[in-house]
Amino acid sequence: MILEENKGMFALPGFDLIQYEGFKRFINQGLMEELLKFPKIQDADQEVEFLLVGDQYKLREPSIKEKDAVYKCVTYSSELYVPARLTQKRNRRIREQILFMGSIPLMTSQGTFIINGVTRVLVNQIVRSPGIFYSREPDHKRIPLYTGTIISNWGGRFKLEIDGRMRIWARISKERKFSIITLLLALGLTRKDILNGVCYPNILLDLWKRQDKDIKSSEDAIIELYKNLYCVSGDVTFSESIRKELQRKLFKQRFELGQIGRRNPNNKLNLNVPENESFLLPQDLLAAIDYLIGIKYGIGTLDDIDHLKNRRVRSVANFLQGQLRLALTHLENSIRQTMHKAIKRKRSLTPKGLVISTPLLTTFKEFFGSHPLSQFLDQTNPLAEMIHKRRLSTLGPGGLTRRTASFQVRDIHPSYYGRICPIETSEGINAGLITSLALHARVNDYGYLHSSFYNISDDEEHIVYLSPAEDEYYRIATGNQLASNWGTQEKQVTLARYRQEFLTIAWEQVHFRSLFPLQYFSIGASLIPFLEHNDANRALMGSHMQRQAVPLLKPEKCIVGTGLEGQVALDSGSVTRSTQEGQIVYVDGAKITLSLNDNETIDTELITYKRSNNKTCIKERPIISTGTYLKEGQLLADGTATVGGELAPGRNILVAYMPWEGYNFEDAILISERLISEDIFTSLHIERYEIEVRITNQGIEEITKDIPHLDSYVLRHLDSNGLVVLGSWVETGDVLVGKLTPQEDSLRAPEGKLLQAIFGIQVADTKESCLKVPIGGQGRVIDARWVYKENILINNAKTIHIYILQKRKIRVGDKVAGRHGNKGIVSKILPRQDMPHLQDGTPVDMILSPLGVPSRMNVGQIFECLLGLAGDFMQRHYRITPFDERFEREASRKLVFSELCEASEKTRNPWLFEPDYPGKSRLIDGRTGDTFEQPVTVGKAYMMKLIHQVDDKIHARSSGPYALITQQPLRGRSRRGGQRVGEMEVWALESFGAAYILQEMLTLKSDHIQARYKVLGAIVTGKPIPKPNSVPESFRLLVRELRSLALNLNYFLISEKDLEREMKNV
Amino acid sequence: MIQDEIPIPVQTLQWKCIESKKEGKRLHYGRFAVSPFRKGQASTVGVAMRRALLGEVEGTSITYAKFKNVVHEYSTLVGIKESIHDILINLKEIVLQSDSYETQKASISILGPRDVTAGDILLPTSVKIIDASQHIATITTAIPLDVELRIERDCGYRTLNLKESQSGEFFIDALFTPIRNANYSIHSFESNNKVREILFLEVWTNGSLTPGAALSEASRDLIDLFIIFLNMEKEESIKEIENNELNIKNFPSTSISVDIDRMAKEVAFKQIFIDQLELPARAYNCLKKMQVHTVSDLLKYTQYDLKKVKNFGNKSVEQVVEALQERFAIQLPKDQFNIS
Repeated sequence: MILEENKGMFALPGFDLIQYEGFKRFINQGLMEELLKFPKIQDADQEVEFLLVGDQYKLREPSIKEKDAVYKCVTYSSELYVPARLTQKRNRRIREQILFMGSIPLMTSQGTFIINGVTRVLVNQIVRSPGIFYSREPDHKRIPLYTGTIISNWGGRFKLEIDGRMRIWARISKERKFSIITLLLALGLTRKDILNGVCYPNILLDLWKRQDKDIKSSEDAIIELYKNLYCVSGDVTFSESIRKELQRKLFKQRFELGQIGRRNPNNKLNLNVPENESFLLPQDLLAAIDYLIGIKYGIGTLDDIDHLKNRRVRSVANFLQGQLRLALTHLENSIRQTMHKAIKRKRSLTPKGLVISTPLLTTFKEFFGSHPLSQFLDQTNPLAEMIHKRRLSTLGPGGLTRRTASFQVRDIHPSYYGRICPIETSEGINAGLITSLALHARVNDYGYLHSSFYNISDDEEHIVYLSPAEDEYYRIATGNQLASNWGTQEKQVTLARYRQEFLTIAWEQVHFRSLFPLQYFSIGASLIPFLEHNDANRALMGSHMQRQAVPLLKPEKCIVGTGLEGQVALDSGSVTRSTQEGQIVYVDGAKITLSLNDNETIDTELITYKRSNNKTCIKERPIISTGTYLKEGQLLADGTATVGGELAPGRNILVAYMPWEGYNFEDAILISERLISEDIFTSLHIERYEIEVRITNQGIEEITKDIPHLDSYVLRHLDSNGLVVLGSWVETGDVLVGKLTPQEDSLRAPEGKLLQAIFGIQVADTKESCLKVPIGGQGRVIDARWVYKENILINNAKTIHIYILQKRKIRVGDKVAGRHGNKGIVSKILPRQDMPHLQDGTPVDMILSPLGVPSRMNVGQIFECLLGLAGDFMQRHYRITPFDERFEREASRKLVFSELCEASEKTRNPWLFEPDYPGKSRLIDGRTGDTFEQPVTVGKAYMMKLIHQVDDKIHARSSGPYALITQQPLRGRSRRGGQRVGEMEVWALESFGAAYILQEMLTLKSDHIQARYKVLGAIVTGKPIPKPNSVPESFRLLVRELRSLALNLNYFLISEKDLEREMKNV
Repeated sequence: MIQDEIPIPVQTLQWKCIESKKEGKRLHYGRFAVSPFRKGQASTVGVAMRRALLGEVEGTSITYAKFKNVVHEYSTLVGIKESIHDILINLKEIVLQSDSYETQKASISILGPRDVTAGDILLPTSVKIIDASQHIATITTAIPLDVELRIERDCGYRTLNLKESQSGEFFIDALFTPIRNANYSIHSFESNNKVREILFLEVWTNGSLTPGAALSEASRDLIDLFIIFLNMEKEESIKEIENNELNIKNFPSTSISVDIDRMAKEVAFKQIFIDQLELPARAYNCLKKMQVHTVSDLLKYTQYDLKKVKNFGNKSVEQVVEALQERFAIQLPKDQFNIS
């Protein structure tokens, strides 16, 4: 694709390519492959033959648009039609029909899937690539054991072991091990075949003598194997059924290497088995045994399973192909059954009668709905989407489990350079298991991660893509040492990577150099300016928190950035671009019309105030006006959190690093009222509330405005149909949908009957089951709609969705963060006259703790904020590629200070740069007018408001639901749960001797049922709260559980006078 | 550094505007020098003035908008580039100038296609637009845009009160304060072998009032705040007299202080406009018509006098009396005869 004149240039690969390419591979290759694999189906008498004409399949264009699919809560999919031929040999009739096989979810232009109206993404999985791998592992006695594991593409794994006594064992899918000789014989090889096939026949012969003396023939071996695998003791005689049984268990399509799996042993063991032979052959086994023996004697190399050459990416293509294969297998079985039945009953057959669409439909539905790697797309902001699509996971089916994953797999491997980001991974239990694709990494057709480099050893520099296996054998100069050597290349030595080591070598010995200093990092990490000055842990948090940033009402470009903001915004698909050249003829908030040269027009619909998966608001703003001429690819509209086509998740804020009355203790953050009054950190959030209308035993639920059970005030927003009026402002407790559920009236209370008898009042025979605004929810109703689920299982399930938009200003308790992992919680909001101010009177907008910097080692924030200050005064924006220190020592510091100095001179603000304390300034307390004792670092930092907001977290409970069994309050805010008084809290109360409080906590306020009820009465009547005299419910539970173990627990009271015992039941 | 440029009077405090420029329609800058202060005084005044400028000065802003045929603000209108919410945000930014404390009505009524700017707002005579080029919306087709606006005057900012709003009616969380920024600096100099200080005050306003006017308003607000102490001293002295009638030594001095106090107060009342009584529209307008501008003007009248004024009913008199009592603890005499 690279043009001749652009050979030396490079462009960043599209960030969403990994998703598209995967899906493209599936549509172009995988789909056809699987359809062609579909076997010819014949009945028992071979009279009827069914055949799919796989290469003539057709995919129908989806009937709805992507955006409509989200709106209507349906799946965005395409229907698959395949012609089929049915041949009846008796009357030589051939019928051909085009069949509907089911529908396949399609990838949208954003690289996602829409399943039932929910945007989902398939995360790429890193798995061990198929092939044979040798390693050394200690056995239970700590004696080293050499093993060769054959990992299949499809099916179980097979392991060869050689122990200290030179015995060779085989193990299938972690079952019991058995001698290799048995296996080889069982496979049908003769003694001669075996001994001639290996290089060390003596060892095998020796083995034979020691281990398997009595196994002579293939039949013996099969019986032995059978005994071993099925744990049968005693005499078993050979029969054909045993052979079949074993064949079914072990050989038949249970273990497929696949094309990739075939290449590996071919290379490793020097075989030349053709590549389309996707199963393991006996000669492979013999070669593998040879190699294993060689390794025992120190010949050959062990494999590093964490090396990326031994791991591959399972992408969308592989997942979908696998699911399609599964679905077609189901279909095959169903066709066989139908055919069998039809022939038995002598019914006529048609292709249409044989093929049903359910296998495909249900398989894909189940896959997208429940597969752990088909994930709910993180849509907090465009960056979050992008990062989610580029995520690599080692978890999931066929991968590792997070609990058993060792340190080695989680660690950064030298082969990650330029392929997987060493910084961005999740914190906690998934550390190192869920990683992110590096900027320049690409996945090749076989699923291996490639990275690009400049080849500088040849005469002409050009770009090469290197696979993980290749680049170890070249000397690759690293990005951060290059440029300084450009002038005098010959004599310079440079750092280079060679065979997983860093060497200092002469420049002419270097083969390749990296393209870009950020080549090694993921998008999230490469959006952090001055990344190289940050500790990796904080950089990790920084890249995490950028994707948690809430899109703001008035976003702003960062003053200091890395230059990648534009590409991230473009590739995320949140900005709208013109697809063709033309003139704008019409613009409004929801539509842009582009007129082409030939009087054709293209309408682009814009998204207005739609809910994202993470409840943030998606909105597109047109940024062009009528009459402008556009080129192809030019911006039409900005999306959420983008400005002028650049990612803008936050605002440039004037920050100061100083303590202020202890309000920024422990990472708390002090902000100015200006952030509220000028809507700087204001964001929109859209919440969806839903209610289902069901058909109960007593009848259909009714949506109505007339709800006698409720006060008319809470019903004030309902229209005549019982739905909330659009545009009304609702608050906690207001009814959104009025619903009445019919109730059985046979159990009517006697007073009801009396009422009816006397006054003729009809006591309500319905129960109200309205949808109300929950606690903490308030806002403007922007949409209310009926949704008819595709799911036919629940009959006539209708759902009403109500969308409520909230405008949230920043408030105490909200989380705010910069890009360097400097996060904090807003602790106080000060009026602007109280904030410390600069020497020109400008009040600071945010006060961060200076103690948050040294221990966290994220010095990048200081560089950023100072350069931001200079940029703010000079109206400049800086895009700085990290690792600028390769040009010069302390280049970042010099840049920042020189810019500040320039700004100070140009704008005649001498306080901007004072040589006595460069980068700091005297601040004045706004309350007293005193100068603070020390000069303070001030600057413009790019700060973001994160999705963790108090409004979603604040919670209190006086009483509420209890767990059914323990009778203790439930857990969590969503269930109106209580605050757990755990072990340590109990210790605290014990240590203070607060016995009454402790008792109250453990009984009245928790699981003592009777006492709980009595408290209420006592409070109402004003009497003292009764002391519980029995045990709480959880203790009774314990006693009951003990009883079920036949242990009884009781206690006795012995009276002092006559020593009489009185038994008490617990 | 600038000391030399300004001739410094020796005794009484004087002020001078050193610099005043319009950096844009919505940015006025002014620099003032006040001197000579005794050591430490400049800081007292400077801090107080800066804080009063930032916190107390009032401004005018649009607080409410009503659109036709709009269900909620999170929607777009056909033919308008901005969403309703964007228009509301743009309306919030518009700088207005008004003296009246009353809620005023304004409207936009315009036919597209064209850019709607602040100049297109139809305003009552008492309200002025500062920057007519401020963008509100872009109408791209021939459709009308009708918006009803409400304009209020207040200080600080106001957050939404959405409860009352009905469909098509939107409250804008207005930001009233006209002061962009304020700063002060203090420089000392020597005059007659005494250390004196000069105070520089810098004010940036949004154009709706000049920096000088902002300063005078801020100082008036400050004086309002301090007036209570004047009264306090008087009351205390009276109490003192009552308590220690025998203690004659203190008597003359206090009586002098009362005199000074009274004088100071009178001066102060001349500076306080009746706007600050926050009277209802009717009473306010009547008083204005009577050329009553300051509190001291008002104090020339009695309740009886007021009642005789046209359109000035009993209720209005009550309100005036109440307001005076509440704000300045002054009782307006009932009629001429009661003055003694």
